[in-house]
Amino acid sequence: MDFLELLNFYVIPGIVIGSIYALGAVGITLIFAILRYAHLAHGDLATLGAFVALAVVSGLGVSPLAALPVAIVATAAVAVGIDKVFYEHLRERPKIVTVMASLGIALMIRSVVQVFWGVDTQTYVRGIVRPEDYFGLRIRDREIYTVLAMLLLVGALQVFLTRSKWGKAMRAMSDNPNLALLSGIDNKKVVVLTWVIAGGLCAAAGFFLGLNTELKSLMGWSMLLPVFAAAILGGVGRVEGAVLGGLIVGVAEELSVLWIPSEYKAGMAFVILLFMLLVRPTGLLRGKVL
Amino acid sequence: MTALLAMEEITGGYGDADILLDVSLKVGKDEIVVIVGPNGAGKSTAMKSVFGLLTIRGGRMMFDGDNITGWAPNRIVQRGICYVPQVDNIFREMSIHENLEMGGFLKKGDLSAAFDRVYTLFPDLKERHKTLAGSLSGGQRQMVAIGRALMLDPKLLLLDEPTAGLSPKYMEQIFQICRDVRDTGVAILLVEQHAKQALAFADRGYVLAAGKNRHEGTGADLLADREVAEMFLGG
Repeated sequence: MDFLELLNFYVIPGIVIGSIYALGAVGITLIFAILRYAHLAHGDLATLGAFVALAVVSGLGVSPLAALPVAIVATAAVAVGIDKVFYEHLRERPKIVTVMASLGIALMIRSVVQVFWGVDTQTYVRGIVRPEDYFGLRIRDREIYTVLAMLLLVGALQVFLTRSKWGKAMRAMSDNPNLALLSGIDNKKVVVLTWVIAGGLCAAAGFFLGLNTELKSLMGWSMLLPVFAAAILGGVGRVEGAVLGGLIVGVAEELSVLWIPSEYKAGMAFVILLFMLLVRPTGLLRGKVL
Repeated sequence: MTALLAMEEITGGYGDADILLDVSLKVGKDEIVVIVGPNGAGKSTAMKSVFGLLTIRGGRMMFDGDNITGWAPNRIVQRGICYVPQVDNIFREMSIHENLEMGGFLKKGDLSAAFDRVYTLFPDLKERHKTLAGSLSGGQRQMVAIGRALMLDPKLLLLDEPTAGLSPKYMEQIFQICRDVRDTGVAILLVEQHAKQALAFADRGYVLAAGKNRHEGTGADLLADREVAEMFLGG
């Protein structure tokens, strides 16, 4: 196998799926940094985002990319709503209670998706899209959109976190919650902001997974493990770490097919997760909260 | 003396148990007042009661003409009292500048005057304003912590054992910082473990024991008091 083939069939698809994992992992890491629990409904929230986009595409007849902003806003609103209705009441309880509640939310969201859209596989656009040739590199337009959108969204988030008053307040709340409260930072606003961002990124992850593969009601749930592996690999609490972790997990999954049967591809995330937890649980870029 | 802060026979604690029993204390404008006493005397608790961090069951807290008994901490902050906890009093993963900015979070409008004030007081911090606070030495961390609390232009600063774990050299530096802050018109109430040094430097002191007032007076008077010396200062 030559080098171009390696890039075309393994590395490029790895980077694309890795960008999707990165979008999910950034949300996981933000929620962990501010609220201090693992959010197990994240995958199914991504499924919801993907199907909301599908509803817009088939309902209004617009292109998938035009439906993305609607899916982002709707999913962010649902995430804030779930927090208000369910998680908020559990804030003072041990965190494991919220973790288990989020598992219940995951099942609820999946059921809602199945009631509205059924359990069959669906796509945004019918037919086969052939990749374009760039000096021997074979890349589809949707793959370029995926990676660009990830870089754009995460870049915007980084600017928000380092430059704006409320972005800094989010970092302060993650860094030292007591001192943030003593400084008069409104905890409730920070929590809403966290859910808006995590929910929006989650919808983007689900959307691009649906755009590059297909939509089904279990699509997000099966993404949960690699997304958690990515967040832990990069260092929980670090946005740039989640991106790095996502890309590594994505590429590792694709490359693993060279040595193991492709049905076991999903196991790579588990291997990485296990390895990191044993060797360096703080992640590649030393995590802030674990 | 016109009292800026007057704690009047405060009784209270965390949950149901009373830790403070009829504690009274005053801090005047431009004054450094220190609370000393043996471990478990309720020193830190007395300070936290000012900041609304415990349940007050008796007495009242007067500040600058207002009865602030039972106010929530964020309202007290806006009224002009800032509190520096003993531990975890900085944002480690944020720069010095961002730490100060968070201190001024509640302030509307421009923060540049507040930044100038803090940086004039602590030139070291200005030089290194982009450094992560978590990478600083103990003394510099205290400067960041105190600087953060000064961003809202408080009238009264509460410091909970600011010299805990610091070398004697840094202790003297922190005391000098307190004098500098006082000279800019901010009153200071602090709790100290190092009773001798603290009484020598403060304007006035209170000795608490078992949640009650025991002695009060100028630092020099208390240091000269035989009973105080024998009880708390190791002779």
